[in-house]
Amino acid sequence: MRRARLGPSIVSLLLLSCLINVEAQQQGVQQFDAPQAGARSPRAASYEIDVTLDHAARRLTGRETIRWRNISANPTSELQFHLYWNAWRDPESTWLRERRLAGAFTPPRADAWGSIDVTRLRVRGVELTSQKRFIAPDDGNAADQTVMAVPLPSAAAPNETIDIEVEWTAKVPRPFARTGYVGDYYFIAQWFPKLGVLDDTGWNTHQFHAATEFYADYGVYDVRITVPRGFVVGASGRQVERTDVGSGQARHRYRGEDIHDVAWTTSPDFVEARQTFVHPTLPRVEMRLLLRPEHAGQEQRHFEATAAALRYGGEWFGPYPYDHLTIVDPAFQSGSGGMEYPTLITAGSRWIAPALVSQPDRVTIHEALHQFWYGVVGTNEFEHAWMDEGFTTFSEARVMEAAGMPNYLAPRFFGGFIPWTIRDIHLSRATDGNRLPGYRDHAEADAPSTPTFRHWPATATYISYNKTALWLHTLERHLGWPVLQRILATYFDRWTFRHPQPADFFSTVNEVSGRDLGWFFDETYRGSNVFDYAVQSFTSTRAGDRYRTVAAIERRGEAIFPVEVVTTFRDGQRVTERWDGRDRRVIYTYERPSEALSVEVDPRRVLLLDVHYTNNSATLAPRAREAGLKWSLTWLTWLQELLLTYAFFV
Amino acid sequence: MTTRAWLDGWGRVLRAPAIVAGMFALTLAAAVPFALVLRGEIEAHLGRSLAAAAAADGVSYDWWQEFSSQASGIGATFTPLVLGFASTLDHVSSVLDANGETAALAGLAAAYVLVWTFLSGGILDRYARQRRTRAYGFFGASGACFWRLLRLGLIAAAVYGLLFAYVHRWLLDEAYGRLTRDLAVERTAFLWRAVLYAAFGALLVAVNVTFDYAKIRLVVEDRQSAVGALRAAVAFVARHTDRVIALYAVNALAFLVLVAVWAWTAPGAGGAGWMIWGTFAGTQMYLLARLVLKLQFMASQTALFQASLAHAGYTAAPSPVWPESPAAESIR
Repeated sequence: MRRARLGPSIVSLLLLSCLINVEAQQQGVQQFDAPQAGARSPRAASYEIDVTLDHAARRLTGRETIRWRNISANPTSELQFHLYWNAWRDPESTWLRERRLAGAFTPPRADAWGSIDVTRLRVRGVELTSQKRFIAPDDGNAADQTVMAVPLPSAAAPNETIDIEVEWTAKVPRPFARTGYVGDYYFIAQWFPKLGVLDDTGWNTHQFHAATEFYADYGVYDVRITVPRGFVVGASGRQVERTDVGSGQARHRYRGEDIHDVAWTTSPDFVEARQTFVHPTLPRVEMRLLLRPEHAGQEQRHFEATAAALRYGGEWFGPYPYDHLTIVDPAFQSGSGGMEYPTLITAGSRWIAPALVSQPDRVTIHEALHQFWYGVVGTNEFEHAWMDEGFTTFSEARVMEAAGMPNYLAPRFFGGFIPWTIRDIHLSRATDGNRLPGYRDHAEADAPSTPTFRHWPATATYISYNKTALWLHTLERHLGWPVLQRILATYFDRWTFRHPQPADFFSTVNEVSGRDLGWFFDETYRGSNVFDYAVQSFTSTRAGDRYRTVAAIERRGEAIFPVEVVTTFRDGQRVTERWDGRDRRVIYTYERPSEALSVEVDPRRVLLLDVHYTNNSATLAPRAREAGLKWSLTWLTWLQELLLTYAFFV
Repeated sequence: MTTRAWLDGWGRVLRAPAIVAGMFALTLAAAVPFALVLRGEIEAHLGRSLAAAAAADGVSYDWWQEFSSQASGIGATFTPLVLGFASTLDHVSSVLDANGETAALAGLAAAYVLVWTFLSGGILDRYARQRRTRAYGFFGASGACFWRLLRLGLIAAAVYGLLFAYVHRWLLDEAYGRLTRDLAVERTAFLWRAVLYAAFGALLVAVNVTFDYAKIRLVVEDRQSAVGALRAAVAFVARHTDRVIALYAVNALAFLVLVAVWAWTAPGAGGAGWMIWGTFAGTQMYLLARLVLKLQFMASQTALFQASLAHAGYTAAPSPVWPESPAAESIR
């Protein structure tokens, strides 16, 4: 065997990655983030909110008292608030500018806009309303009003607690970003003036961006929601009270502890169902389902999907720490499906939902798993969306497979209403569940280490969701599931009710696996290079009484990963080589009595990020002609039918 | 009379198997060159990869998606919608949703329709005469009627173009959008869409049936004027609305029965070896049946028209030279 190697050392890359790691670890730290006595979280920002929905006017009127504790190491002389609904106040908000960049955007109609106005703000009894101003820390967009800053009468010292009183009114939009109304269905998210997160480097209060979500401190939310009597309400937390307040209205009080957000929904049409998740070693969880009437009969699918997420999430990562979870089946056209909020998720089903197709199961599992990666481990979704979306996508695919849920391809026809299940195509966990096709087409769009809110809006999800899921699964195959499971469980345990940074996960990986995987994160996290290993040439020719087999393996992408190269001979023998994958090319030559049959690069498909797996193998008995015949005949009949359809017009 | 025309139509179709065979061969021949191009693309993409074995033995969706990511032109139309009954749904849905085709396939479809237009003269002539006309007679009639059928076809194309460009957009985009804008129930939205499909479909059928009879009058009555034939067709449909609609409905019902049977029996991807040809043969049977139904529309409508004529003298006076008008067949 001869082996040719070409290429540079990567010592410099490793050194650079260490430097970047040190740098990353200094971001986002909060000095006093230990759980408060008797609590599970630091409870740095707790809200008492009283809100009333004016159904006729589509408006909210609210007041809140925030008990906020400065858990950073430094004093602060101002407060910063998110006013998310101002993203839909006018077309010049950063959210709408970015949404237009993403393309395929229809301008909202005149009655679709939403907004939020703070009408009063007091701190320690001092009126500060007139001192509020809008800031745009991310892009300097003077027209954006999604972040409000207010100077404090006196600086808030580290670990000091202050009370903040806010009053506001808001116009409920037609659906934007999973928020708004359609008919008499409301989904109300990111709806109240909400503090940013203060860490040791200052305020982390990003503007609302089209491609990213949210970030907030943990606390206790005590929310009183007044809606028309007869409207069913679901909200983060657990319902503790319901009272009629006259004028045809009812007040619903929800309380959630150690959560970092609260969303709610209301509609007179919800059908309510409850089941309890029971597991021999995990805490019981009451699952409350608010189902649309037209989806009657799909209750069990929602419950089973949620239970699967709670079960496997609990077994693999750690127990779901709350005793309740509300699943909302969103209204048609509400745009509120497939979203996570603490102890409340929105699923998303269809009127016709075939049993062999994974809707609504998959989205329900995904959002329920966000309770672990987002809800309990409080990642900064503005900057590191991959830490929850990617983890959740990976976990979702794994749960789907573990739970044995049917998952066939089902395109929809006739305006998207009528599905047809294609039983020939069962979607796989590895490539479909982890969403390889989307990643393949946008692999170089952005590097995950770039703050997510700076990603190109049209392709951000492919990096946050797809790429992360693919590299996590690659890591699973590289290290083995028991190791990765320990990594995830350790990481979950350490960062429960806290805000981890990327370096915190990477250090957990290195520590638990006992390996330095910095090189792997250089490729997957810090870079946007693609992986593409290929068989460049493969021959096996008679040389005397033996065969000379030559396999040239090529690295076509710039990203590097060690791969196995397996050559199979006609006598059944297999030779496995382990190539570090660094050089541009490696050539293996064998002199053996048997002719070779095939060569495969990464035959176990450890490297799921390889964007072109077809070129990973070559055989001396190729069947491309047979496959070409089969599929061209299949397509031929499709084309004939197309022509016959056009014959209608003759 | 409707039932008699329908049965009569079947007789005319079955007694002219050469037309069925010829049109089937035409449809196949039109598609084969494109399929060969796709075959070349698939083979080139698979090369000597082991992925070819998975693709040959069943469905390798993983490979398929990788192929699609780099495909363009006709390769981009090679999607899972080509599998089994999804193909039928795809085509019917595309018409009702006014989805366009790729440039290559739109060109092929236009050429195919043009050839149909040419052959329509011979087909209608044969079905009207109810006797063998041989190739000479068939193509003679096709040639003699081509330019007038083409003129009629251009009018039809303009009307269909207006329907899809304006009426469809108004109904299925604008009206549907307005009607469903505040709907929170998917089922109700679909109901509205179904109603609008029905409205658009009714217009489509009205135009289709009118032009069908215009072609029949053009050929059977040996008319020269496409506009005249169209006016005569409108008059015919107006005078015999019940029969025309009933016959169209019976034929449409037969089509729906065929599609329903196909939905249950359509083969999937199948395996390698002889199964490739077995699967192909099965789908060809379905396509043959669809073609026969298309021809049955033409034959039965011709039969209804001829049965509805008061007497042969009603038709325009035909020249009794070959290819004379098939109306001459009725002169006794």
